[in-house]
Amino acid sequence: MNRSPTQTIVFWSVAILCVVALSAPTLVVLGASFTAGNIIDFPPDGFSLKWYVAILGERDLQQAFLRSVIVACICVAVSVPTGTLAGIALSKYQVKWAGALQIYLLLPFTVPLIGSGIGLMLLFGELRILGSLWPIGIATAVINLPFMIWAVSSSAASLDPDLELAAQSCGAGPLQTFFNVTLPAVTPGVITGALLMFILSLNEFLVSLLLVDARIVTLPVQIYNSIRAIITPDLAAVSVVFIAVAALAIIILDRIVGLEVFLKSK
Amino acid sequence: MTEIQAAAVSAINVEMTFGTFKAVKDASFELQNGKFLTILGPSGSGKTTLLRLIAGFLTPSSGEILINGRSVRAVAANKRSIGMVFQKLALFPHMTAAENVAFPLKMRRFDARTIPDRVAQYLKLVRLDGFENRRIHELSGGQQQRVAIARALVFEPDLLLLDEPLAALDRKLREEMQLEFRRIQKELGVTTINVTHDQREALVVSDQVIVMNDGEIQQNAAPTQMYRMPSNPFVANFIGVTNDLSGILTRVTSADATARFGNVELMGVHGGAVALEDGTPIKGAIRAEQIRIASAEQSMAGLDADFRGTVLDAIFEGERHVYEVEVPELGGETLKIIHHDRNDQSALEPGALVHIGWKNRDLQIFPAKQ
Repeated sequence: MNRSPTQTIVFWSVAILCVVALSAPTLVVLGASFTAGNIIDFPPDGFSLKWYVAILGERDLQQAFLRSVIVACICVAVSVPTGTLAGIALSKYQVKWAGALQIYLLLPFTVPLIGSGIGLMLLFGELRILGSLWPIGIATAVINLPFMIWAVSSSAASLDPDLELAAQSCGAGPLQTFFNVTLPAVTPGVITGALLMFILSLNEFLVSLLLVDARIVTLPVQIYNSIRAIITPDLAAVSVVFIAVAALAIIILDRIVGLEVFLKSK
Repeated sequence: MTEIQAAAVSAINVEMTFGTFKAVKDASFELQNGKFLTILGPSGSGKTTLLRLIAGFLTPSSGEILINGRSVRAVAANKRSIGMVFQKLALFPHMTAAENVAFPLKMRRFDARTIPDRVAQYLKLVRLDGFENRRIHELSGGQQQRVAIARALVFEPDLLLLDEPLAALDRKLREEMQLEFRRIQKELGVTTINVTHDQREALVVSDQVIVMNDGEIQQNAAPTQMYRMPSNPFVANFIGVTNDLSGILTRVTSADATARFGNVELMGVHGGAVALEDGTPIKGAIRAEQIRIASAEQSMAGLDADFRGTVLDAIFEGERHVYEVEVPELGGETLKIIHHDRNDQSALEPGALVHIGWKNRDLQIFPAKQ
């Protein structure tokens, strides 16, 4: 493509601006975590790993991190079967009220998180299940389910509609067809969805804030609580670990199914 | 039934209705064991619906389909002994070539010890030995076709169904695969039903051809008979390049019919299936390659009809010329003529005066409306 120099300059300025704006928070927290000083600061005051060493000794942060991982695992365990079945059904079969159902399933997404958070808090309070970790896992699954459904249904929609008929003509009954053909064929979507759900649940702050009590804080809530007391660079270090976990999930995703599967999602 | 051996497939007054739309109307036919039947028709003619009824993916609204003499109305698709090659092949993308071919054997509970040998045997049959462990997307279009054929045949089905699997291929590969289908079908002797809109394919591969239009079977015959004796103008036009002439019937006998076209009376043949009466409007059909053409000075011997005309257009297609010739004596009709240039290298130019002619037996006469 032939561009005039002015076009090239504008194009690159916009691109660089976007990249800087998007990565600035990450870079700042990354830099701040390596500070040698005792207050959180950017640019960092010298370089050291002492705050990473420090978080190794902080049981509160570690336990909060562990709780977040447990919540994320519960979320994945709940959302993968539900979201997979819903995604396949919505894209492959003539479901009655499919349109309405789709809107309903996307609803958690359109309600502000604070709204669904309060709703879930009231509901769980009524059921007397506040104070355990698993309701938080279920809550994050409910709120983020649209992502799971999207991932699976985009994978299912691109399948040849004759695939299941082909399985039948090979002698497979309905269940055999589902487990041997349909499910494996949408596996890329399921993996994508599962990793997304894991990350989203791991990072979930607002809803967790409303559903946890002092004994079971998750990591984002723990960090938030600490910030309100005193801001020390160990929070930057733990944030970096947090980011690294999410990035790792993205890398795994790319390795297994390729990011384009997710980016193609409608 | 008193037959010693029932037909491999019979359809008896099969109808299929979707809402108010009749996709298949009163279809009846028989297919003998080991034969290759092609159902030919334009898109929307009901041919694929008919195939899916036979496969068991749809249940007829009325009528019966018999396979080896038994009604299959209550038999689910996965319980029928039918192999099928789909239009977009529908190979399982997460399996290798060999796993795709092994799948029907596993589903149909073949002895696990015999499966690898059988898979190898069928991959060899379709000339894909050495490609066992390739994933589907690592194979070329033609190789994928072959995997689909092997998967449909590996469990030795009573019946093989082909749902336009060649439609998406380029012409050269398509013609190669047509012959490949024919070879495999002959080698295994499996009864086959093929669906296509490609009239050439129908003539090349089949023992029996059914032409469908608007959900109705138009004709059911052997390829040569279908070509030489089409039963109505639709079939005449769908197979081959055909000229339509409108006329009025003047005289009819059991063997032939005479009709007035423009200023002239011409004699032709009729199938005798439908009653023709004097004075009724008729359609004459003559194939483009059955009309002879020569420059005005040359003479043509042995023809029954002979007219003068002017070349309007001349198209060179390599092995043949296609001419459009205006014939004043036929009321100014323009006829398409295919001329295979055997010895004479001369091509006729637009504007040239020519004479054209044909034999009476090549002019088909049909009632104007069915």
